[in-house]
Parts: sequence; C-alpha cells; structure tokens
Amino acid sequence: MIRCDVCERRCPLGPDTYGYCRMYHAPRGQVEERFPDRWCAYATARMETIPFYHAWPGARCLVVGTAGCNFDCRYCANAEVVKVDPAGQQDVMLDVSPEDLVAVARKRGCRAIVFSVNEPTVSLPTLERVAAVAKTAGLVMGCLTNGYATPEGTARLGAILDCVNVSLKGLSPEFCRDYLGVPDVGPILRNIKDLARTTHVEVTTPVIEGINSHELGEMVDFLAGVGPDVPWHAFRLLPEYKMRQEDYPSVAAVGAQVEAAARGKLNYVYFHNFIGSRWVNTLCPGCGEAVIERHSLGCGGDRLQAVHLDGGACPRCGEAVALRGDIDPATAKEACS
Amino acid sequence: MSLAILDAREWQQTVDLRTGQPREASGPLVDMVAGLVGRRPYPGDRDATCNDWVADVALELVERYAPRFAFLSFSEQFYSLRHSPLTKAEEQARIDGAFAAVERFARESGFTVVVVGTGELVPAAVPVDLEGLDGLAVSSNWCAHYAGLYDASAADLEKLANHPAIAHVAAKADILSLFGGSQADGERLPEHMVAVKEGHYLKGTSLRRLYKIPQPSPVIPVSTKLGPVASLTDIRPALLKLLRTDKVALALVEGVGCRQFPLPYQTCANGRGWFAYEPGDGQFLAISKGQHSIFEHNGGYRYYQDDTDDKAYPYSGFFSEMPTGTIGEAIAERSIAVGNRSMFMHMLTGCDIACECFARNLYNQGVMAVIHRQDKYAGK
Ligand code: SF4
Repeated sequence: MIRCDVCERRCPLGPDTYGYCRMYHAPRGQVEERFPDRWCAYATARMETIPFYHAWPGARCLVVGTAGCNFDCRYCANAEVVKVDPAGQQDVMLDVSPEDLVAVARKRGCRAIVFSVNEPTVSLPTLERVAAVAKTAGLVMGCLTNGYATPEGTARLGAILDCVNVSLKGLSPEFCRDYLGVPDVGPILRNIKDLARTTHVEVTTPVIEGINSHELGEMVDFLAGVGPDVPWHAFRLLPEYKMRQEDYPSVAAVGAQVEAAARGKLNYVYFHNFIGSRWVNTLCPGCGEAVIERHSLGCGGDRLQAVHLDGGACPRCGEAVALRGDIDPATAKEACS
Repeated sequence: MSLAILDAREWQQTVDLRTGQPREASGPLVDMVAGLVGRRPYPGDRDATCNDWVADVALELVERYAPRFAFLSFSEQFYSLRHSPLTKAEEQARIDGAFAAVERFARESGFTVVVVGTGELVPAAVPVDLEGLDGLAVSSNWCAHYAGLYDASAADLEKLANHPAIAHVAAKADILSLFGGSQADGERLPEHMVAVKEGHYLKGTSLRRLYKIPQPSPVIPVSTKLGPVASLTDIRPALLKLLRTDKVALALVEGVGCRQFPLPYQTCANGRGWFAYEPGDGQFLAISKGQHSIFEHNGGYRYYQDDTDDKAYPYSGFFSEMPTGTIGEAIAERSIAVGNRSMFMHMLTGCDIACECFARNLYNQGVMAVIHRQDKYAGK
C-alpha cells in the first residue's frame, strides 16, 4: 500500500484499492490512473460559462471532464456523472488521446481547453498530458477545482494551468464536514494563495442562505488578503442532488449580503447562477463605469455582451482593469465599432 | 418589441427579447403574465408534476387571456425516459401522466385538443464517437442521431461508409435535392450529414448517461380529431381550418410514438426520404410553419458559431433571428404557447404569449414568459 499524494485525502492505494475518488490505484507501487484519457463529454462554450470573467474574455473553449470526485457536496450539480462508480461509467466514456483532444479543440476554433465537469485532480496525469500537447498548439489551459489538492498536487496544477477557478464553498469545519464531506477548509485557503502566485485565479462561492451566508464577510477578508483584484463569483445555490427538495435561496437577500460583505474590499464582485442576473457586469474599480457587459443565463450559460475598454483601461477614468489574456478578436472588433 | 420576463423564483427581470437588455415594463398584460409565472414556479424537467405545470399554466392563461389557439408541449416523460433508469411500469406511468395532463387541459378548457406524438424513444446502445476523423463532426446535446460533418477527407467518408453504427451519410447537395432547396438555402446545412443506426447515438456534449434516445420515426401519430394529414407539414393547415369553428389546442406529447399512443390516431410522415425529425426545435418548427425546416434547424449545424457577443436573442438558445411564417403569426385571434421544452417555444410558435421552463441541460433556472403582442389585450 502507498498513500496517494494528489489530494489531501491522501488515500491508501494498492493494486485493488482505489481511494475515495476511485480514479487511482497503485498496481506497481506508484500512483497510477485507472482510466487515463477517458472523457465523459466535451462541448464547445465560452470562457464566461465556466465562469472565467477576467481571463481571455469571450474566447471559445472546449469544456471537458472525466469521472469521479474527491468531495461529497450535498448540492453537487453533476452527481449523475461524478457520484457514480467510474468503473461503471466506462461503457459510455470517450477514449480520446491528448493529441486528438487538442485536435478537436483546434478544429472547433477553440482558444482554450477547460476541465470543468468534475474535479481535475482525480485525473491529473491525463490533464498534464493534454496540457503538454495544448501548450505546443498554443492553447490556453484552465480548470474549475475544489482546491483540495496537496501542495505537490497544487504545484502540478499551477505548472500547467493558465487560469483556475477555485470553489471556496465554506469555512467552518461543520460546513466542510456536513456539506462537502471533508474535515476542514485549510488546504483550500492555502491552495488559493499558492495558485494565485503562479497563475490567474478566480474564486466561486455557492451561497446557501443561513448555512454559509454568515461566512461571506470572512471569505471576502481572506480573498482581499490574497489580492483585491481576485474576481469573486458569489453563486445563488442551485439546489441539486441531496438538496433537490430545498428552497432556492432568495436572490434579494443573498444579493444584499454579498454586496455588504464585499463593499470596498474586492474590486470585482459578481452575483449570478440564475437567469437575468444584473450583477454580471465588470464595473471599473475607479469610477464604477460598466466596462464589460454580460448576460446571465443561469448555471453555465453566461455570455459576453460588450467590452468598453480602452487599451485594457476604463475609457472614462483610465483605471486599469485586471484581465489575463487578450479579448476575443470578434469582441474587440465589436467594442471598437 | 417582444418582452421576456425571466422568473428565477421570487425574483424577476424583464428584458427586451432581441437584445437581452433590461426593460422597465408594465401594463395589464405584462402585469398579468408576470404575476402568473411568479405564482407558478417550474418544478423541474423530471419532476412528476412537470406536465401538470404545463396544463396549469395553460389553463390560467385560458382563463385570463381567452385565447383561441394554444400550442402546448408535454415533455417530462421525454426527459425522464432519456435520462433516468426507469422500469417499464415507471415509463408507462410517465407517459400516462402526460396524457392525463392533456386530458385535464381539454376537459377544463373546453378546447378541441389535437394530440401529436413526436416519436418513440428506444434503448440507447453504444455511443458513437466521430472525433477520430480528419474532418470535424458536430452533434448537439439534444440531437443524438445526426451529426454534421465538415472538411471530411476521402478516408473519413470511406470509414463512415463501412462503420457498423452509421446508417447514412448524405452530402449537402443530396439534402438540398431531397427537400427542394437551392444552393442559397444551404447556408446552415453541414457539408455532410451523418445518421446513426437505431439505438446508437452520437456522444459529445451530453454529460448524463442516456438510457433511451429518440429513434426518428418515418411516421408519427396524430389524433384523428384533426382529419386526414399526410405529413407533419399538413398539421398546420388542418389546425387553421379547425380554428374556424373551434377553439383549438395542439398538444405535442414528446417521446411517444404510435405504439404508446393511447388515443385513436392516424399516422403522418415525420420527414422525407431517409430524413426523419428528432423531437425538438426542427420538428416543432416544421409543424408550426407547415413546411420543412431542415435548412434552418438541423442537428449538424455548428451551433457555437452563433454564440458571439453580438448574438441577437441571447435568451433564445440557438435562435439568432425570429422565425417567420409561424402558426401564431397566421392567427389573428389571441394565441398562447406553454411548454416544458425550453428556450424555443416562444420563437417557433409565434404565439402572442409563451410561457416555458428555463431549464438548461435539466438544470432548473426558472420560467421565461415572452410577450410578442400586447395589442390584443385590454385586461381582464
Ligand atoms: S485524488 Fe484524493 S480522493 Fe483520489 S485517490 Fe488520491 S487522495 Fe484519494
């Protein structure tokens, strides 16, 4: 038996011992993937759908995912993919080599490949192989993660990713245990700091009224310490999986809490994950002008609408707006016309 | 200007449907519709009460708006059979539930209801992956049967010709010829269209396991109340004729073919030649317009090309322009559409008011109500 060093669960692995996520084993005394290069789906989308609001705005990306997860979130939106035994999924998984996946992205005119269906750390070697090929093809690599990797795992992610959206779901040990199935948030806070040193980081928090909403102020203080330019996406929780019968959180109440928590501390705050959100535009941190406009179609459906930047800065007051990567050429053309 | 009321439960935003920009709007009809969708949250695509939601919303609109025509879709069983592991008895209960909701609407509204089954679902066998081709294959989340093919090499075409799961590969010219289109009609057609054999499906964008998939059927059932129709494109003129004497509702019951159709029925052609419609936007549009719509909507179109920042109708799925010649446009009296197939009922029915779920990939975001016409209503 050896210990898996990919995430903080540090599961024992053996030839027939697979760990919590059931995606790794150790048939030869080393951590190996059980299902390398096996994908549950891929789709063409835009960076805003992930969401990335401050990285390659408007760029088309290939969204990919595998199977399995190292968390047990009570509200998992993809439970039908990530909560079932990955071995039982293999009959419907796609077998696509890194070279073919990058070719798909290129054929579809994608600027980026983003791993976002399930937790990327459970397929880290596959992701690394894709990243190596993507890099030579000039593609951007991104992911959504729960941020629970070990320092070694985080370093591996940071080395291959151009942008990461980390989910900071809650702070208290009770919340982590009851809603996520892990003992504490410490590794996630550590990894947000570490990743922000090496790559572009945005942070997402699904807000559950009365459950983690009282922690928003503390989360904002932490993020402001990482850097006031870290974009923060507060999500209205979509009750799925074990929470399907629960009420939807109140937009008005949660919106007010988010605003109160973040005022004056973070430069880029968004509140979305529901149709028609009014809180998806980027406001200039200097003067409050809407410099990037978006539509919100609810979970995974945000769209870039217009960019009003002048050389990356607010056209009204000249304040620079924190962005990683260039703006999609079609959008830039639209913005100049 | 068409208005969209986006209802995310206890929170609403009204926007200009074409631009997506917020609009301050009020008036008797806007207030009535906003109140209605606010009171009737969407229960979810696979919720057992999902088809009842359609009937309830439609009945309230009948009461408050007094339409002469209603375009309804009942789709819960389509989602459930497709994505849930159901027993035979559970499947039948879902289908029975859909027809019970249709029957309740008919009984309580007094409308003459014409029921159309959009085609049977069959067990999903094995996913077909076309990504190993030199060219590009495109299918969409809700179209598992057809893929568009672009820049295919000779080797690709040979591979597909010998592929055990591929039923048909048609060149664009063949599709244009089959449907009598000119070169100019082919802008949204793929260079080739690939159709898979029964039970096989194209996997690409669907995250969830597919348990059943639509088997595009050459014929679909139409309840005999309508009189004889040879093709799904004949349903519209027959409905317009029936409207001279009756208040009429068209109820599309999704995922149901002739074998499960419990009412007296006749069959009508569901396509032409080798092409049969999958349940969904293309089929609904063909029924609404009374003409084939494969040039406008087909599963092989590179849908993501339209997903740009300047896309018109950002809340209308793949649509980037309003279809013309829809059945709603042809009806001078009041018309409504209600359905649980999201984001396109309001576009392809053309009815004065459309209330539909706003669910994306089964994620329940709420309800969207679209008001195309306010001029026919003075309040009630
Ligand atoms: S990635 Fe995490 S959950 Fe999976 S085997 Fe390794 S330590 Fe366990």
